[in-house]
Amino acid sequence: MLDTLSLMGAGFLNALTPINLLMMAGGVAMGIIIGCMPGLSAAMGVALMLPMTFTMKPETGLIVLGAIYCGAIFGGSISAILIHTPGTPASAATAIEGYQMTLRGQAGKALFTACYSSFWGGLLSCISLYFFSPLLAKLTLKFMSAEYFWLSIFGLTIIAGVSSKSVIKGLMSGALGLLISTIGLDPISGVKRFMPSSYFAEGINTTCALIGLFSMSQVFILAEKKIKARAQATKFTDKMSLSREERRIIRPTIFRSWIIGNLIGILPGAGASIACFLGYNTSRQFSKHKEQFGKGSIEGVAGSEAANNAVTGGSLIPTLTLGIPGESVTAVLMGGLVIQGLTPGPELFGKYAPMTYTFFAGFVLVQFFMLGIGLLGCRGFAQISRLSDAILIPCVTVLCFVGSYAIHKNIMDIVVMLTFGVLGYLMRKFDLNTAAVVLALILGPIGEKGLRNALRTSRGDVKVLFSSVVCWVLIALCVVGILSPIFMNRLEKKAAQEAAETTGEDLEKLTEEDSV
Amino acid sequence: MKMKKTDIGVVVFMYLVCGFFYYHMTKLKASSQTYPRFTIILLFGLTTLYLVQMIVAARKYGVESGVDEVFKDFQPKQFFVCLCATILYLVGIHLFGFYIPTVIFMAVVLFYLKVPPLYAGIAVVVIVALIYFAFQKFLGVKLPVGTVIKALQK
Repeated sequence: MLDTLSLMGAGFLNALTPINLLMMAGGVAMGIIIGCMPGLSAAMGVALMLPMTFTMKPETGLIVLGAIYCGAIFGGSISAILIHTPGTPASAATAIEGYQMTLRGQAGKALFTACYSSFWGGLLSCISLYFFSPLLAKLTLKFMSAEYFWLSIFGLTIIAGVSSKSVIKGLMSGALGLLISTIGLDPISGVKRFMPSSYFAEGINTTCALIGLFSMSQVFILAEKKIKARAQATKFTDKMSLSREERRIIRPTIFRSWIIGNLIGILPGAGASIACFLGYNTSRQFSKHKEQFGKGSIEGVAGSEAANNAVTGGSLIPTLTLGIPGESVTAVLMGGLVIQGLTPGPELFGKYAPMTYTFFAGFVLVQFFMLGIGLLGCRGFAQISRLSDAILIPCVTVLCFVGSYAIHKNIMDIVVMLTFGVLGYLMRKFDLNTAAVVLALILGPIGEKGLRNALRTSRGDVKVLFSSVVCWVLIALCVVGILSPIFMNRLEKKAAQEAAETTGEDLEKLTEEDSV
Repeated sequence: MKMKKTDIGVVVFMYLVCGFFYYHMTKLKASSQTYPRFTIILLFGLTTLYLVQMIVAARKYGVESGVDEVFKDFQPKQFFVCLCATILYLVGIHLFGFYIPTVIFMAVVLFYLKVPPLYAGIAVVVIVALIYFAFQKFLGVKLPVGTVIKALQK
């Protein structure tokens, strides 16, 4: 206990260094900009900024990525409130009440509510991050080779179902990623496998694949559509604040949404887009002012925003402890972790505990930066959210190029990134899952090592894969993982439908922004 | 839900990938074949399962093209101009280094997409400055010089 407390304290001291604070501020601002632009997503932003963290200390790099993540989730609410277009799918529910408040001349109040609730949602989610992560990480100490093999399969079944219309297509995407992950030298015998040149000896560069699949593919998606002028962001003159009474009203809403968002975040396979609708619906169910819903309710904005930001801390728990990211953004974050040479699991809470606790402390401080920068910069960010896709297309392309080149200073990295960009574009066009490919590229080598070591120790007897209780638990979880998207899709549809019935909003239009 | 004809392309692509990897896998040592074989079987099995699902959907609900959905709002000219510019940009970086092709690429694409010159100019300056200060100065990334420029310098 004392050890943990001293690690927590030391983490805060490390996180408070000027460079870390500067990176937090920069990351949050970058995240808000990315989040408030409807053409860009949180996963894309984190992928694009990943190469910038290579030369940083691991904890600083992770803090930057965490800051972008939190900033982007909050940033989506700015365009949702001011131009009725959610910057990210996580803010779809915020657009319902937030834009109504804007029409009533209360845009400042709506933005303050969003920022204030996001802050509390994110901050409270850090509690579970601190307390559940080490406990869950201890569980993985019992894992042997066979268990690691099943864990990688479980991770894939989870992510494959997320953001795919068809579960089988999601699983196919995961299997394709696993196959691509076999390119390179055999990790055990050193035999060349599927290598057109020696460049691929270490396999496909995960960062290039990440940038290609998430960022470059988005450029192609933007380039194929007619460039439309964005709606004028409403200029607001009302004060950005809430009265004491209004703060008292939204307090229980924030608390409920925190619990909802946190649980949704911890559950692999569910994400911020589900949480925002559940938070919104729950706030309406418990509200004493139901008549205000659909006409601009601060409780509605608070419910949605606290829930989607509470997902951030929760979703880091399975990512850091089991190596199972529950959604696209955490898959990219895990890529950042692996690239830094770190493996999710007990090591992060043992050998690398100071680094992990510095990241946790940074994650707490990021919430304060989000509150400050969010409140001070709302007006400016609102103008940025109008940035045309015509400007974004070449700018993001250049950043993708320079980001992938920065990894090994090799032009071939740009070629790989571009190839994955085209692959990602085609996959998204045909409803395949790019996040599953990325996760398979990360989990593939772990799974391969687990499978082959298990078979080697058992002299080829496959029974070893079914020899322990943990193996069977993981197999059962794989089945749950395959079935969970069906349940989650229903849950999201039900929550969105309920919200639509109350407000008469066209939610299909609001949620049509790409969710990658 | 109706079967989409466009999904036939997905199935064919996956089978081709399986075939390609299987062909190359047979050339590997037996011990190195274990994991690739597992992943090929997995992908093959899932693709076949999807094919069966498609056939069942076709019999139950009929067949639809799916092209309209995949290429909704598709602007072929704009898309291919951007794609070609991106590929030429890559070639340009290889030949002339980073900065000159970046400025040309951005200017061409922004001009083609009808961005007002003032905004286009600001975008180019901001991106070039960002790369210079963030990547080159702060992170110490040595950006490509280009084979032609290198040859000229010699």
